[in-house]
Amino acid sequence: MKDIPTLGDILQARGVSRRGFLKYCSATASLLALPPAMVPRLANALEQTRRPSVIWLSFQECTGCTESLTRSSSPTLEGLIFDTISLDYHHTLQAAAGEAAEAARHAAMEENNGNYLVLVDGSIPLGNPGFSTIAGMSNYDMLMETVEGAAAVVAIGSCAAFGGIPGANPNPTGAVSVRDLIKDKPVINVPGCPPIPMVITAVLAQYLTFGQLPELDRHGRPMAFFGQTIHDRCYRRPFYDQGKFAETFDDEGARKGWCLFKLGCKGPITYNACATMKWNDGTSFPIEAGHPCLGCSEPGFWDKGGFYNAVSTGDIGSGKALAGAAAAGVVLGATAAAMSRARRKKTMKEG
Amino acid sequence: MSSNQFDLESKRLSIKEPEIRYDKQGDLSDEERVQKAMANFAKDFGSTAAVYLDSCIHCGMCADACHYYVATGDPKYTPIWKLEPFKQAYKREVGPFALIYRLLGLKKKVTAEQLQEWQHLIYDSCTVCGRCSLICPMGIDIASLVAMARNGMFEAGLVPHELHAVAERAEVDGSPLGVTPKLFEERLEWMEDEHEVTINIDEEQADVLAVISSIEIQKYPDAMAATAKILNAARESWTFRTDGFEATNFGMMSGNVEWQKNTSMRIIDAAIKVGAKLVLLPECGHAYMALRWMGANIYGKPLPFKVQHISEYLADSLNSGKLKVKKVDKSVTFHDPCQISRRGGATQAPRDVLKHLCTDYREMPGGGDYNWCCGGGGGVVTILRADKLRYKVFKLKMEQVEATEADTLLSSCSNCRQNFDDCQSHYDWKYTAESLLELVAENLEEANA
Amino acid sequence: MNLLEFARGPALQVAVYIFIIGSLWRLLGILWLQKKRDFSERRNGRKIRGALKVIWNRAFTAPVFREATKHARFMGYTLHIGLFVTVFLFIPHIVFFKGLIGIDWPGLPNNVIFFVGVITVGVGVAILIRRMTHPVLRLISNFDDYFSWLVTLLPVITGLIMPIRFGVRWETLLAIHILSVALLLIWIPFSKLSHAFLLIVSRGTTGAILERRGART
Repeated sequence: MKDIPTLGDILQARGVSRRGFLKYCSATASLLALPPAMVPRLANALEQTRRPSVIWLSFQECTGCTESLTRSSSPTLEGLIFDTISLDYHHTLQAAAGEAAEAARHAAMEENNGNYLVLVDGSIPLGNPGFSTIAGMSNYDMLMETVEGAAAVVAIGSCAAFGGIPGANPNPTGAVSVRDLIKDKPVINVPGCPPIPMVITAVLAQYLTFGQLPELDRHGRPMAFFGQTIHDRCYRRPFYDQGKFAETFDDEGARKGWCLFKLGCKGPITYNACATMKWNDGTSFPIEAGHPCLGCSEPGFWDKGGFYNAVSTGDIGSGKALAGAAAAGVVLGATAAAMSRARRKKTMKEG
Repeated sequence: MSSNQFDLESKRLSIKEPEIRYDKQGDLSDEERVQKAMANFAKDFGSTAAVYLDSCIHCGMCADACHYYVATGDPKYTPIWKLEPFKQAYKREVGPFALIYRLLGLKKKVTAEQLQEWQHLIYDSCTVCGRCSLICPMGIDIASLVAMARNGMFEAGLVPHELHAVAERAEVDGSPLGVTPKLFEERLEWMEDEHEVTINIDEEQADVLAVISSIEIQKYPDAMAATAKILNAARESWTFRTDGFEATNFGMMSGNVEWQKNTSMRIIDAAIKVGAKLVLLPECGHAYMALRWMGANIYGKPLPFKVQHISEYLADSLNSGKLKVKKVDKSVTFHDPCQISRRGGATQAPRDVLKHLCTDYREMPGGGDYNWCCGGGGGVVTILRADKLRYKVFKLKMEQVEATEADTLLSSCSNCRQNFDDCQSHYDWKYTAESLLELVAENLEEANA
Repeated sequence: MNLLEFARGPALQVAVYIFIIGSLWRLLGILWLQKKRDFSERRNGRKIRGALKVIWNRAFTAPVFREATKHARFMGYTLHIGLFVTVFLFIPHIVFFKGLIGIDWPGLPNNVIFFVGVITVGVGVAILIRRMTHPVLRLISNFDDYFSWLVTLLPVITGLIMPIRFGVRWETLLAIHILSVALLLIWIPFSKLSHAFLLIVSRGTTGAILERRGART
């Protein structure tokens, strides 16, 4: 067994003060809505953690999730911690390629059998295995092979969580989500297109601390970050309530920062932490920047009626269908009238 | 007819109120009666009745307009409720969803018991006055539906005895009160003598055919003289005809379409025979509805003559100067007969006459088109068992008249007059309705040539 | 498919189809029965003028009847106006209509709509009590009257619950709200709620007749 340094050793070696480390643990604990009493436990667990082995599988994805995570503006503590995880396999970030990369994956799986974490981004095509392959292996095969010895799986991004853009209508590759395929291992969904970086790391930190899944909603998303809608936390909510809406982009209402409901904001039906945690280290989020929420952390958000069609837009059928219904009504009315006339005559005769 | 001798009004401890009697004519079985009723209801289930019967929203406002409900507080007098079997039959047999109602048993067949029970509502407690039709927010002409329902009731033999008897008499004898042509002529001659007025009888040709109601012939014969006076003063070419004089239409009131047609055709035939340009209707309310508005449809094509109520003729003649009256120095109020004003559209005519005729005309509060029905129309005054109810609702009319504090009450319908006279006697009231026609005739002046 | 997708998708569509089919069935089944020509000599009025007059003025009661009907009228006006405001002046609804017919119009702030909605439900309860206790209404009311009451108020009630939540997810409440509207649409043609379009025909028919006679419309 190699002498694997703990996270605490590494942080110390890198000159992260104990104080700074505990500050991070407090912040993470509060993000996870854990009580202050949990902080020492979180700190202890993280400190003692051996660099866990993490295998990151990328399937039908745009690499945006990785970009989101790594595009931190400056090396942050979150980034450091992430560095200290033993990221044993990652297409974009790894140095190895080809046979060597696959060998590294297999080695990690063997050495940490039963303990490693599998992170997945991108959806898995079932239509034809040839749609997406790595080292000649289909996504499906690689997923099933890798997950077999995993402790848990985290599906990062809406593609892995729900099928994402490849899964959007008409879903030409037959894309499915991780949860569609993996039934015998714990799977946490961290959707978003991409997800908020801090959400990813906090979820990992919680898992590493407690070795358990956090409280998940019906879509397998951690309640701590996906428990409330954007609408309920949006700073523009008072304008919604007052009936002040932007009608078009860059109109007077838009410039005054009024609610973007009419422009198609999916805030009312989207569960995520964007309105509170925001992006780019709390700089802003789409609504604040003047664009309606796309609802990117929800299943099938590409097919929810259009980004610029309001939530309450309805679809009552095509013009043809309505005309057909009208025609049917006319026919029934005529039939009823004819029947009534006949019955009237008949009744008159009987008298 | 005074009821002071026997106190029928106050509550008693021992004797129960007798039940309403349900009259039947003929000896048809119950099923046959129902069949006949349905067949004759169905006759009227055309587009208009269907629109009305399918549009009721059960708001109950019609009750607030009906003198029977307002005077008694009894919800069964709600106008649309009077039509319940009629409506039920429509929805079950001929409505747009009739098949569904029948298949799922959602509307029951009308029963003989129902029809019997409803006799009282359709005949005793409806004068077809049309006040309910004016209040209905859906614009349903409820009154016309009651008239339609009566067709079924008649054929089923479920008409109140007295009304049936009177209607039958009208069909057989040509007059509800048995006034034969000979009797009519005799009474005309009597009036000629009494009033020293020339009355034209059975002229071969005339521009104006005057008709008269049996009520006037028998009870208010001065009306015949007054009519003659007016037409003579107006220098009309006019006549009464003993082969076509009866203005009342008890076929219409009782619900017999055939008899209604026969009655109307007598007048129409007589008018055509003399080449009349105008048929002049007397002071009778439903006569106006029967001939002015329903006559052409009975005839099947436009009538070849104009039809006017006497008040319209008087109004035109006074306005144009063809007739002149001297002013009567009394305060006067006017009771509008329902079939002439509200249902018939001739509300302004008597008022024009009164403008010429009196110095002080007072409109009743809520008068004119919306005034309270006298409670005697639609055949109700013939039905004895309905008397108590008729007296009760008359109180509303009394209040309305008394509010004007006028000297005189005028009207231009002899059925109303009859009812007013009877109620005046019952209540010992200071008013009764006098005839507008007779008052004009009394005060005619020589018109300038 | 989750409940919301079902509600605003197939459920709403089917409801709209049934509404169209049922309404035309009822209207034409009535209108295409026998019509009688009127040969009587018309006084002055033209039928169409009379029809339009009565279509308009029966929304208001003649002064002579106002005192007797003041309760019915107050409740009726309040309910209908309340329904109109909550349906047509609530901005998310306006957005829905814009999606359907392409026309937009100004709305009222949400809290005003909520207030009107509460009043609407309140007067709805009063109307029910009146129907159950007033002797005339008790006598003439049937299943249609009571069920139509429920079906009309359910969308308002479910709409009011949406901002209140009671701990239920917003999407679920929205789905229930839309399903209640679907129920309303399906029920309209087969019930007294058809008065929404039948009033034009019934008032118009009477108006035409009265105007021909020169009678008071």
